[in-house]
Amino acid sequence: MFKNKADKLWYGFIAVAFILPFVPGVIGGSFFGHVATMILLYAAMAQSWNIISGYCGQTSFGHSVFFGIGAYGAALAVVNFNSLPWYGAPLGMLAAAVVSVIISYPCFKLKGHYFAIATFAIVEIFNRLFMIWDTIGGALGLDYPILPDGWVNFSWSDTKNGYYLGALAIFILVFSVVRWIERHRMGYYLRAVREGQETAESLGVNSTVVKLSAMALSASLAALCGAFFAQYNYRVDPPMVMSLDMSMKFVLITILGGLGTFWGPFLGALVLIPLQEYTRAYLSHLGAGVDLMIFGLIIIIVMIKQPLGIMGLIRYFTKKKNVKREGDA
Amino acid sequence: MQLRKRSTIAVLLVLALSLMVCSSAFAADKVIKIGVLFPLTGPAAVSGQNCVNSVLAAADVINKANPDINAPLAAKVGLLDGYKIEIVKADHQGKPDVAKSEAERLYNQEKVFAVIGSYNSSATKPASAVAERAKKIFMCGCSSSAALTERDYKYFFRHAPTDAIESKEFVEYIEYLNKEKNAGIKTLGLIYENTEFGKHAAEEAHKAAKHTGLKVVADVPFNNGATNLNSEVQTLKAANPDAVFGAALGGDYSLWVRTMKQVNWLPKIAINYCTGYQNPAVQKELAGDGDHFMGGMGYSPELAKKFMPEAIKIEAKYYTPRSNQPFDSDSIQEAVMLFVLAQAIEKAGSLDTEKVAQILRTEEFPSVMSLSGTVKFEPGGQNIHALSVITQIKDLDYKTVFPIKYQKAQPVFPMTPWDKR
Amino acid sequence: MSNFVQVLIDGILSGLLYALVAAGLSMMWGVMDVINFAHGEFLMVAMYLCYWIGEILGIDPLFSWIAGGIFLFLIGALTYRLIIKNSLGKAAMAPLLATFGLSMLLKNFCMNRFTPNFRLLSGTIMEGKTFQFAGAIVSVPQLVTAIFSLAVLLGVYWLIKKTRVGWAIQATAMDKEAAELMGIDTENIYLLVFGIGGACVGVAGGLMTTYLAVHPEVGGLFSLIAFVVVALGGFGSIPGALFAALLIGLVESFAGFYIAAVVKYVAVFAIYLVVIMIRPKGLFGW
Repeated sequence: MFKNKADKLWYGFIAVAFILPFVPGVIGGSFFGHVATMILLYAAMAQSWNIISGYCGQTSFGHSVFFGIGAYGAALAVVNFNSLPWYGAPLGMLAAAVVSVIISYPCFKLKGHYFAIATFAIVEIFNRLFMIWDTIGGALGLDYPILPDGWVNFSWSDTKNGYYLGALAIFILVFSVVRWIERHRMGYYLRAVREGQETAESLGVNSTVVKLSAMALSASLAALCGAFFAQYNYRVDPPMVMSLDMSMKFVLITILGGLGTFWGPFLGALVLIPLQEYTRAYLSHLGAGVDLMIFGLIIIIVMIKQPLGIMGLIRYFTKKKNVKREGDA
Repeated sequence: MQLRKRSTIAVLLVLALSLMVCSSAFAADKVIKIGVLFPLTGPAAVSGQNCVNSVLAAADVINKANPDINAPLAAKVGLLDGYKIEIVKADHQGKPDVAKSEAERLYNQEKVFAVIGSYNSSATKPASAVAERAKKIFMCGCSSSAALTERDYKYFFRHAPTDAIESKEFVEYIEYLNKEKNAGIKTLGLIYENTEFGKHAAEEAHKAAKHTGLKVVADVPFNNGATNLNSEVQTLKAANPDAVFGAALGGDYSLWVRTMKQVNWLPKIAINYCTGYQNPAVQKELAGDGDHFMGGMGYSPELAKKFMPEAIKIEAKYYTPRSNQPFDSDSIQEAVMLFVLAQAIEKAGSLDTEKVAQILRTEEFPSVMSLSGTVKFEPGGQNIHALSVITQIKDLDYKTVFPIKYQKAQPVFPMTPWDKR
Repeated sequence: MSNFVQVLIDGILSGLLYALVAAGLSMMWGVMDVINFAHGEFLMVAMYLCYWIGEILGIDPLFSWIAGGIFLFLIGALTYRLIIKNSLGKAAMAPLLATFGLSMLLKNFCMNRFTPNFRLLSGTIMEGKTFQFAGAIVSVPQLVTAIFSLAVLLGVYWLIKKTRVGWAIQATAMDKEAAELMGIDTENIYLLVFGIGGACVGVAGGLMTTYLAVHPEVGGLFSLIAFVVVALGGFGSIPGALFAALLIGLVESFAGFYIAAVVKYVAVFAIYLVVIMIRPKGLFGW
């Protein structure tokens, strides 16, 4: 099972992450518990985006649409149908996959920035349409009633342990999918399309099918994260989930960590989420918006100094170390 | 020689440490932490910051000795047995998910006794859901959505009249004008931002209008932050309703007014929910253009002079120095909630949440900053003495025109057309 | 009928405004392939500048727009020198995300220093003045802004097509290495382009203070519309930007009145998607 160092790292990480909630005082009702849960969730979100944007090279700013569809799936089940999110979430995932294929098929004709702007336009359209779609809540949104705690309703009020384990499960699912992609033919196809679509096609790769499958997969996983988000916040409305702000989170975390890498999304979340949460909680007394100013400044600096993200930094340093070692011999 | 030097230092260190421990224990003993959760950044930041300043002003009245102010808990220092209120601020940035996690952080990490918040109804909902699940008290000053007190919550208390109550009052005023002044108002237009706040207000307006046979001829939601409101105002003008109810915050409000000026159209009467109309800073920027619009308010400097003189004292002493403007009818309600909470704690004699909550549910509280003078909550948390009046603004002065009991001036009706100003 | 004329005129006027805001973005995109996420915040900065000039010095925006243009020229150049230059070519999205960070920084800086309050100038020369035309009411401030917009667009177009500097810009846009081989200082060209782009939006912001309230979030929707205008027109094409902006302004106006005001932006973004499917490089793109 432990074929190599990468495997050891992955399984070791899961083991540690799994043990945390059982160590008293670490997760429980603490702020750290909230931050840790959010790190896992946003890492999963970023990794789902990584599938289509990092591995397949199609940079989409529209993922908050799929995130939102998943959130509405879960919330509608609970609020409008008095049912369980366990039924709503898979439906949301399916809907997101279908929607993603329908809107991506024409969009994949577009190149570069034209494609990016088209994804902006799609988010804005969905946002505004959901705002006037009164049957599913419209501008009022959907508010959760108070339900008994537990796994059935996927809702807890006194401890974050359940949410943490749920987020960990989603994290493991999404990252395992990517692990599988990396090692199997799908990964080769994705990378072939990313590196040069015409060349790939000349070698017999059906780039349209590859891109659409990647998009559907990516969208459904993002939707699953959205369902979790709705459960966690007891509410969903269009500006919360289907906004450009949320789309940018998918993008920023992945790029900060390292686009197209396995650990990138996790590293990005590991840095950005605590930064975001702790600066807001403890620096907002400095004056309005100082935490967001610092956030913006950090993004600028990272993009100037090391746009390949944290993974880029790590590779740069390990390369230096290896070169030095060779020289010594 | 060395030993003496080292031991002296050690002794001094121990003394210093113990002093620190003692003083912090001292300080920790007599503090009641109250969280305030408002939008300090984002689109509603203006109002959020005003709300925080209001609560801080109220805390000053309670914490310090203010014999000159005739309000409960003002004269003595602090409450209970020398306890002082410590305000812990939190920013939800206008986002419901942030409101939820900040509420949790306030209760669980900062260990606040209660939270006052959160201005945006869409943020108040998840934040108070956290409180209710944790069985902690949540005091809400001015969020207007009627849905907040329709949840059967036991720990949630809200001061402001709901958009349902306000809609009824607006419609009553129109009935009054029709009857007493032959106003002939038959049609109604609605213009509102397409958000939780605006949409819910519009729904309540529809309900109220149906009761009196007022016909809604224009229902115009707009995207807040729009680059222009040309189409929206055009639609209103084309329908030409006699009356318009508006729900637009700050910048959109001034854009709406200016756009109506541009197309040279006004309804006979325009009444606003709690929004840009009530913000003195916005009206100052609009200058004369804002004149003759009306809105529902629980507070105005003119009302205060007659009915809430203590509020004026508090404003001068603790609020205006912080915010450079007089109280506005939204944020003042947050101060009221701190006063009510403090009175409940004082009555309970302890920081037992259950005791305090029970008192909040059953007792009536005198309130020098509420128009009706008292506050009492019914099951679900709505303040049954919530009162707002309709005012009309002229020359930056909000004059009360309805209900008659509070009327200070005759309304200018219909609104003076643009070319006659 | 007068409704139709009113809607038509409103659409043309706001379209011309969008064209001015988008012109600078079109140049940046065309020459350097950079989407400036902070474009709306540049607009906000210009509006604040001219608001304060009007409020404190009493100078009307009809004259202070020059200051807006100059100040934003400098900001644009500075943004290039400090941010864009160091992130170009390194990774796919680097300049875009860097400007996203810049937009957060600018927006919250203004919020911190100027408070989130909405600020509107009163008593300006053109304020509230209107005149009748074909049964519709035309707002003088918006008309003046539209005329300025046309003038600036023509000026920039003339600059690019008829001057040596403009040819150098075109050359750099077509092939950077070849241009350098021809002795063109592409570094300065890039600086100039970002500066001119900033100046365009600076002029727009200055004039808009006559009728729009400033606040830290004012740039948001303008940014998005500018992106759509530039992509719709085809990057690098000034006539494309003008044409696309007019189209967007008209779609917004007609959809807003004849369908419903609340979907006017849905129509704008939908039109973009429809057109771009038919012509994937924009209307005039190459």
